[in-house]
Amino acid sequence: MRMHVSHDTVYRYETPPSSVIQTLRLTPRNHSGQYVVSWLISISADCRLDAQDDAFGNLIHTFTAEGPIDELIVHVEGEVETEDNAGVVAGAIERFPPALFLRDTPLTQTDAAIVEFSERYRSSGANTLVMLHEMLGGLNREIVFDTNPTHTATTAAEAFALKRGVCQDLTHVFISAARHLGVPARYISGYFHRSDGVNDQEAGHAWAEAFVPSLGWVGFDATNGICTTDAHLRVAAGLDYLSAAPVRGARSGGAGENLSVRIQIDQAMQQSQE
Amino acid sequence: MLSRTADNLYWLARYVERAEYLARILEATQRLASVPIPIAGGTNEWESAVATAGCENAFFEVYEEANEETVTEFLAFSPDNPSSIRSCFEVARTNARAVRTALTVEMWDAINGTWLELKRYGNGPTSREEFSRFLRWVQESSLLFDGSAYRTMLRSDSYWFTRLGVFLERADNTARILDVKYHLLLPEAEHVGGPLDYFQWAAILRSVSALTSYHWVYRESVKPWLVADLLILKEEMPRSLANCYENIVTNLDKMAGSYGRQGPAQRLARGVRTRLQNSRMDEIFQRGLHEFIQEFIADNNRIGGIITQQYLA
Repeated sequence: MRMHVSHDTVYRYETPPSSVIQTLRLTPRNHSGQYVVSWLISISADCRLDAQDDAFGNLIHTFTAEGPIDELIVHVEGEVETEDNAGVVAGAIERFPPALFLRDTPLTQTDAAIVEFSERYRSSGANTLVMLHEMLGGLNREIVFDTNPTHTATTAAEAFALKRGVCQDLTHVFISAARHLGVPARYISGYFHRSDGVNDQEAGHAWAEAFVPSLGWVGFDATNGICTTDAHLRVAAGLDYLSAAPVRGARSGGAGENLSVRIQIDQAMQQSQE
Repeated sequence: MLSRTADNLYWLARYVERAEYLARILEATQRLASVPIPIAGGTNEWESAVATAGCENAFFEVYEEANEETVTEFLAFSPDNPSSIRSCFEVARTNARAVRTALTVEMWDAINGTWLELKRYGNGPTSREEFSRFLRWVQESSLLFDGSAYRTMLRSDSYWFTRLGVFLERADNTARILDVKYHLLLPEAEHVGGPLDYFQWAAILRSVSALTSYHWVYRESVKPWLVADLLILKEEMPRSLANCYENIVTNLDKMAGSYGRQGPAQRLARGVRTRLQNSRMDEIFQRGLHEFIQEFIADNNRIGGIITQQYLA
């Protein structure tokens, strides 16, 4: 699928800050199932955009914009060609051995409820892939998608107690449960092309990747209850939301920040495959 | 567009590029062979030139020894060697004539003029100086042809096929230089250095016009592993493997866009580019530079075959 992405993050301030500093993880990289045809980031303020790799091999950009700034727009646009590899992610940049992704973080710490939930699936542990698939289905039934009760700092345990959450929460719970079962798992942020024709979205997507010994890293989208397909565009990987977040930043001065996100994802053009 | 036309354009560009490459390695060899023997040690530079050109077998069927005279004759002027500079220009001109209407006037003039002038050199130059001038002329002819294509050709499938020819051939050529000289590029610990090595590294860089770029990129003296890094992974370096694949993928993509369909050639080329982008030199050394290059040459050949299947046959 050739996906066209246009993503605006707009900040408006009632009292303009004197400067804003941000780290962007908004640039996808190629792997065997995805090829970036074109990609650009443009910032509405005059600033230098420095590119570098982070520890996980994600391409990050940092900038400092000097104010006063009453509006800041981070615009990302590009085209990516994706292939359906049944969720298997091969040929991506791997800086660490998979076992690193067994490490717990505050956002993905288990509690008694998650332990109890994940233990239900340990019995099928002989085959990691089957176990993860059953858990994916279970999780998808257990938690209802709801944008209201949770926020970016909600932990896996809190979301699991609420039985409600967004893609970020479902992903955290999945990662937390998988790690409890001894399967390395990591957080992926990216984009998702919806097949129901809704192209305008208010947020990016997130899913998990788990390490299956015979296959390597495999993408599990707990929100949709499926393995990743050619509708998933993989952007950044990390231990949890915080280390893979699309935008992180700070501002000095200013008040009354109003954030809005517009994402448009559509199929760029139809091409028949030979 | 007829497959046959596309095929002619593709090979026209490949042969011109190959002629330039042969001139480049002959020039580098000439330079290395003129290093005093006590420094140069016992290596036979002329033999490695034949190996770099990829025609060792054919060469030793005809000649017993690789020296300046035989190698010069075989790689530059021999009508019996289908990959000599002379043969390359002749085949290129034949291809060009078959698709005369698909070329611009400037391109035709460039290739036809080259072919006419080639006759002036007869069976070879009479002196080293003249041979150096000849090698310069070969490179300038390729430059003229490539520049004419770049400046005058309509950006359509005809143009993209010539670009594919250029970059597949170039990728193969750079990989061959690396393949023959890879043992000189291994990291320090595994490598026994000698005074010859500096000349060798500089010669590798010179053979792809990268010596100045090297100093711009790394700002330090010539180190073998950095030479490998520059020629394999640096996308901003023309003639590096990564740069060739950036161009191959871009041109295949444009073709796919205009034809409205894509196939294995696009997918495979993207795969090779992705691998180059996601690799780091220390990992390549760990897994074996030689194996990496061998694999690359095989992939490059496979993509050439698939392009032929998909578009040219």
